[in-house]
Amino acid sequence: MRRPAFAFAHFSFALALALTFACEPARAPGPAPAAAPSGPAADAGGPAPSPFADAEARASETIPGADDEGLAPAVLVQHAVVLTATGQRFDPGYVLMENGRIAAVGTGDGPGAPGGTVVDAHGKVVTPGIIDPHSHIGVYPVPETSAHDDGNELTDPVTAGLRAEHSFWPQDPAIERAVAGGVTTIAVLPGSGNLVGGRGFTMHLMPKPGARAMRFPGAPSILKMACGENPKRVYGDMKRAPSTRMGSVRATRDAFVRAQRYVRDWDDWSNKHAHPPGAGETKADAGHDDKHDDKPPDRDLGLETLALALRGDALVEWHCYQADDMLAALQVAREFGFKVRAFHHALEAYKIRDVLAREGVGIATWDDWWGFKMEAYDGIPENLALFTEAGGRAALHSDSPIAIQILNQAAAKALAAGRAAGVKLDENDALRWLTANPAWVLGIDDQVGTLEAGKRADLVVWSEDPLSVYAHADLVYIDGKLIFDRAHPGAPWSDFELGSRP
Amino acid sequence: MPTMDAVVITRKALAWFGLIATLVAPARLARADDGGPVAITHARVYLPNGRAPLDDATLVLAGGKVQAVGAAVRVPAGARVIDARGKVVTPGFIDADTALGIVDVELELQTSETDTRGPMVPALRAVDGYNPRSALVPIARTGGVTSVVVAPRTGVLAGQSAFVDLTGDSVPQSVVRPILAQVAHADEPAAQESAGTRSGMWLMLRTALEDARFYAAHQAQYDANGMRTLSLPRSSLEALLPMLRGEQPLVVTAHRASDIAVVLKLADDFKLRIVLVGASEAWLVADELARRQIPVVLDPLEDLPARFDRLHARADNATLLWKAGVPVILSTFSAHQVRLLWQRAGNAVREGMDHDDAIRAVTETPADAFHLTGYGRLEPGAVGNVVVWGGDPLQAGTRVEHVFVHGREETLETRQSLLLKRYRTVPARLDVR
Repeated sequence: MRRPAFAFAHFSFALALALTFACEPARAPGPAPAAAPSGPAADAGGPAPSPFADAEARASETIPGADDEGLAPAVLVQHAVVLTATGQRFDPGYVLMENGRIAAVGTGDGPGAPGGTVVDAHGKVVTPGIIDPHSHIGVYPVPETSAHDDGNELTDPVTAGLRAEHSFWPQDPAIERAVAGGVTTIAVLPGSGNLVGGRGFTMHLMPKPGARAMRFPGAPSILKMACGENPKRVYGDMKRAPSTRMGSVRATRDAFVRAQRYVRDWDDWSNKHAHPPGAGETKADAGHDDKHDDKPPDRDLGLETLALALRGDALVEWHCYQADDMLAALQVAREFGFKVRAFHHALEAYKIRDVLAREGVGIATWDDWWGFKMEAYDGIPENLALFTEAGGRAALHSDSPIAIQILNQAAAKALAAGRAAGVKLDENDALRWLTANPAWVLGIDDQVGTLEAGKRADLVVWSEDPLSVYAHADLVYIDGKLIFDRAHPGAPWSDFELGSRP
Repeated sequence: MPTMDAVVITRKALAWFGLIATLVAPARLARADDGGPVAITHARVYLPNGRAPLDDATLVLAGGKVQAVGAAVRVPAGARVIDARGKVVTPGFIDADTALGIVDVELELQTSETDTRGPMVPALRAVDGYNPRSALVPIARTGGVTSVVVAPRTGVLAGQSAFVDLTGDSVPQSVVRPILAQVAHADEPAAQESAGTRSGMWLMLRTALEDARFYAAHQAQYDANGMRTLSLPRSSLEALLPMLRGEQPLVVTAHRASDIAVVLKLADDFKLRIVLVGASEAWLVADELARRQIPVVLDPLEDLPARFDRLHARADNATLLWKAGVPVILSTFSAHQVRLLWQRAGNAVREGMDHDDAIRAVTETPADAFHLTGYGRLEPGAVGNVVVWGGDPLQAGTRVEHVFVHGREETLETRQSLLLKRYRTVPARLDVR
């Protein structure tokens, strides 16, 4: 039932998402990034196929349809105000894109674009593409139908083995509209009805036939978890556990206890194979091992995913609103020795911003949503600003196919609220809420989020200052390819919209 | 209105008296203190009736009303002066379709006056659930909204909306029109939750209107118990009569163009005055709506084909209707985020609507659509609902600096600003003495 018991007649869809499914991240399988720590099993390289290597994901990196279209020709965008999200402002400035990467950024006209095109962006503003670290596009697509209601597997509170990409409908009309709002990368997450929802996946917003082909290359795995009202409401209504917050914490800890045992079983088995029986062992002992212990432990897709989190090979993205819920979640993380990458929604992060900043935990949140549920009752528009002031990494997210189209306006509002409260912030801080910080939340900050030579050429040419309510994304590039041109709209991306949209 | 006797009766009796006054009297109860005279000077003031904004203008408020507005207006002696150089003055914004004051927390159903447990409740009065002390009311005001329509949220014939000013701490002080309009929902969810099908929903609605018309013509037989069974109880039938007499509009939510066509047919058959709401596909029938001058209340951010009854939704719906000459009204359709009405208007401008007409779409146009004389315009004699903005009211970085309701400045303090104050430094030093 997607529709909440109460819904505004005219805003039911967005509210339904916010109220019932406000969710969190989990990420699809990707090979661990070079920067991320690797677990011992992944490093062992022994003869056995360790489940932690995520072989399925790795194999899919080269599936047909994924990034097989060749590299984009060079493009030079010049005469624009260029905001790099590293604190630099080039006015007038240029960005040169070559081979899908940013080749150069700077002041002046730029070096030219041999064999490519030159875009005169006089009067316009260039920024990195917006990254939304919390979306349900494709898993709660529009139009709302029961057939495509695929975001929450509400049959068990711990469904770590799920992957949002296996629910993703690539024809969601919301995809193209998000691009028109200047968004180039999103994390698609399972819903927050479950304590452990499963893996989300980070994707480039490009028209492709399936989720695998849209995956952001090399993005780390992300695990979506949830605390607070949603799981206890969903399962409490079914007269099942959890029906309370304490029940939720217990079930979450139980899951990680099982995951610890799973890791241990696999480690024991792997170690045995990496180190064949030594000289001190008798033949009889060795024979006994061969006969009874050579069989690897049974694979368990859910525990495999939790094990990735325990080993630091998946980023934990945890849906929590209240300060007390976040503190309880941190306690669980400490108990089992894993890190929380970011709390999502985190409307009360401002109350414990010193703790979160000290622990290095980021937040992904809205600018001013509040009050639609009890755990959202203390949301204030200064949350992002206060968290930033405290040294925390704050990202804006949408959680909505409408809000995703105006994330730039959300940044402008949060900036205005913060300044009015006396927080010293500038346009670069606001831009980083949209680009660099969500890139960090998703572990892709080495590839996107700022305009720097060598990074992927994901950028937006805005009609004017993107912090203006009147700004449009005029041109959107992903990997150096022009994927959206407001002045020259083509046929709709979505097959579904053929015949209904001009 | 309270008489001298009222001062000696009990508080409880006074409350009852106030409730009765609300039900019988269309006029808002004036507050004892409407504030002294105020002059806002050197401002850019938005003027009604198609006039361009006037720069370096003065606006005088006194006695709860706008006394004067113009370039050569003299500041009255003793008036409080607000120098608004570089700032902008508009009428208080009006959100024409909200749940403000009838919901605190959506997911806590006991706090929401939003589920009527039945599709046909035309006698329901939203005003009976309205709480002027709701924490949401001052928050709405921080966005420059001074009045809202409070409308029932569910049901096919959903009940009667109210028009309230965002002021005061009692119903008599805040409610302007306890009964403003009859509200109907005729979209995909309404059909599902009532008859189960669209045509079944329209049958329910048409039958109710026919029964009410029949009842009006045969009240004597009804009283004598000499009439066939009607589809609605007497209270419901009675509630529909002002609408059938043309005294109230029928405010209908419909999205699909074909559903809008059914609304227009009903309007013809029953001589109804219509205000259309939602209306994602209204742009497809813009010329017809303009010919009939039917006001359309919409949210310009609703550009998704979110349901099968709005597959032709588009971001420039407001612009296309406005260009065709339809009276366009912009709304948040919200409770907690009524404060963001300016952003709806800003996005209509982003999609091509004229800036000043977008401001009219949250001031004059809703006032005209609901016959709210004195509202939505800054001219002598108008209700003193006035907002001073730090800059362009529709721009993201602009702050609301002063809000006047009936000539009296309202505080911009809210539960949220108190939370900010408590947590401005960390760790918070809680004042719990």
